[in-house]
Amino acid sequence: MDFTWSREDTEFRSRVRGVLSRELPTNWPTLARHGPGSRQQTEFCLEFCPKLAEAGLLVPHWPREWGGAERPVWEHFILGEEMWAAGEPRGAQYMNVNWIGPVLMQFGSDAQKQRYIPQMAAGKAIWCQGFSEPNAGSDLASLKTRADREGDEYVINGQKIWTSYAGMADQCFLLARVSGAGEGKSAIAIFIVPMTTPGIEVRSIPSLIGHGDIHEVFFTDVHIPVSARLGEVGQGWKIISAALANERVGIPRYQLATIILDEMVGLLKTRGQFGDPVIRLRAAQAAASCEAARILVYHVVDAKSRGQILGADANVARLAVIGADHAVSDFGMDFLADCYSGAGHVSFMSHHERAIVTGIAAGAAEIQLNIVAQRYLNLPREA
Amino acid sequence: MRLAFNEDQTTFSTFLEQMLASDVCGFRPAPEWERLEYGDAIDVQLAENGFFDAAAEETLGPVMAAEMIFKIAQLPVAVECAASALLRPNFASKLPRPIAVIEAEPHHPIRFLPMARSVIWLSQSKVRTAILKDGDVQKADTLFAYPMGVLNMAALTWDDVDTDAAKALDLWRIGVAAELAGALKGGLNSVLEHVKERHQFGRPLGSFQAVQHRLAQGVIEIDSARWLILKAAQSQDPADAALALAHTQNMATRIGYDLHQFMGAMGLTLEHPLHRWTYRARLLRSALGGASSAFGHYADARWGPA
Repeated sequence: MDFTWSREDTEFRSRVRGVLSRELPTNWPTLARHGPGSRQQTEFCLEFCPKLAEAGLLVPHWPREWGGAERPVWEHFILGEEMWAAGEPRGAQYMNVNWIGPVLMQFGSDAQKQRYIPQMAAGKAIWCQGFSEPNAGSDLASLKTRADREGDEYVINGQKIWTSYAGMADQCFLLARVSGAGEGKSAIAIFIVPMTTPGIEVRSIPSLIGHGDIHEVFFTDVHIPVSARLGEVGQGWKIISAALANERVGIPRYQLATIILDEMVGLLKTRGQFGDPVIRLRAAQAAASCEAARILVYHVVDAKSRGQILGADANVARLAVIGADHAVSDFGMDFLADCYSGAGHVSFMSHHERAIVTGIAAGAAEIQLNIVAQRYLNLPREA
Repeated sequence: MRLAFNEDQTTFSTFLEQMLASDVCGFRPAPEWERLEYGDAIDVQLAENGFFDAAAEETLGPVMAAEMIFKIAQLPVAVECAASALLRPNFASKLPRPIAVIEAEPHHPIRFLPMARSVIWLSQSKVRTAILKDGDVQKADTLFAYPMGVLNMAALTWDDVDTDAAKALDLWRIGVAAELAGALKGGLNSVLEHVKERHQFGRPLGSFQAVQHRLAQGVIEIDSARWLILKAAQSQDPADAALALAHTQNMATRIGYDLHQFMGAMGLTLEHPLHRWTYRARLLRSALGGASSAFGHYADARWGPA
């Protein structure tokens, strides 16, 4: 057992930091303040990701066939930590890199792969995920958006909501229920829907995360070819479960939270307040939450690097990450409340707007707790 | 970064688990309904097989010592392990064990003293040891599920140990954290078994979300504590040691409360072993000044003075 970084991993991290400090403009913190789904960040990521791709740092873990270098799991993970710590300048494209691309490689048709993967590897594709619906949030499998087969086409009708990036996306990775294919999860299929298809209407919902991040997406008689279906009918749920298994540790939020916490402590020292034992205690508690989250995430990543896929260990880690992000945000608001108004501190405000999502986006914390109870502790399901 | 045991560590861990699965480690009510039983038999077996020397073995190391403390603390019987496995190999390899540790006021009751054959006295500035003779210890009545005793200080001869006192304290923080995390894990395991079996309102207690979520939160904290402890054992960095102890002590009160809630009245009886773990945890959560003090040490180590 060894908790230290290898020389290769340390060098890789410095390389990523080097590229970030070179390529991020001086106004990046202000730009990042607009929120991950904003027009400003999206436009920026379309300039930034091609540069990352050129430096071999967009999809280094992908197979060579698709523009990757088959780099180790840990490198991909370190890349994710550093990108998140920098305010995620890849914007929506982190999803392509982490799971949409790999899902297409595994389940896509040749035509789908050729059409979409090179764009992703070049850093030029924006996707959104059409999952949640007004009546299907935590209970995603109860989704009602319909896909009716008409000859060589499917006609999509329904509504998605809380969709990140929809306002600027080129494609939607859509979950819909195929009419006549039965009930429940087995009727769910995945469709790749170009967002310019007639019948799609996107409405931005003002949110606490930042402008342009949450949307409603309406599908009214949207015609798409049968070839836009990813995998078979009935395979959708399995594909999505496999895809999200890669994602279950979630975003390495403790990495930014740790940096922000150190900034907060620095400011409190400048103000002569860090001698207060209560403040020191609360800072240490927030730091402990971050380190607890980090070590649980590393445990999952380490297992993956050795070819093991752990079960609910990833949900355990994810819950700890939620606690960490909130602990730091709460610490700031409790002891540096003035920094969240007026000219304020851009980095604290940005962090708060990212932290407020933690525990809701991509699966509520309470659902994660259910999973940990039932699959990690083997407690019986509710009757 | 490799968070899996090496071959020797795996062998050690497997062998240890087999030994700890023995009947001599199981729960049986203590005579006169005492709150504890010292695991004499397993103590001897572990010592004879060299388990307490793991920290000094290159391919096992302090990580394995910490893991062993964590595992042994999950037993219903009490076994002195933290001082023997982490302190002794580091600076007092000849000291007879079991070993009791003075970490604060030497006149207060100290755990494991009644069966201890030696004492280590940790302070900020120095480390001292003493060999115990008959009559040096007076057994103390206690609420905690540890054998407790009081030292006859006047009768002891102390030897100064040539070692870094701060480092010894850091090691002890890791040892206490591992023992506390293990006690909580032992309690959690027994409660998990209970809530799967016990039916109320026509269904297992463990199927209620109010129970599930609190147990899930508990295991997240205990698992993260274990990893932070193992990491601290490897690095022996003052910040890591303080963090491991602070994080573990910080969660102990809430988890202890939850465990007793879910065990209900059965957990109030001495016929069920839950008290063995929770009353050890109650003592350890206040050791070395408790969570607030440990968080304070962490803040000092990480951010320096105000």
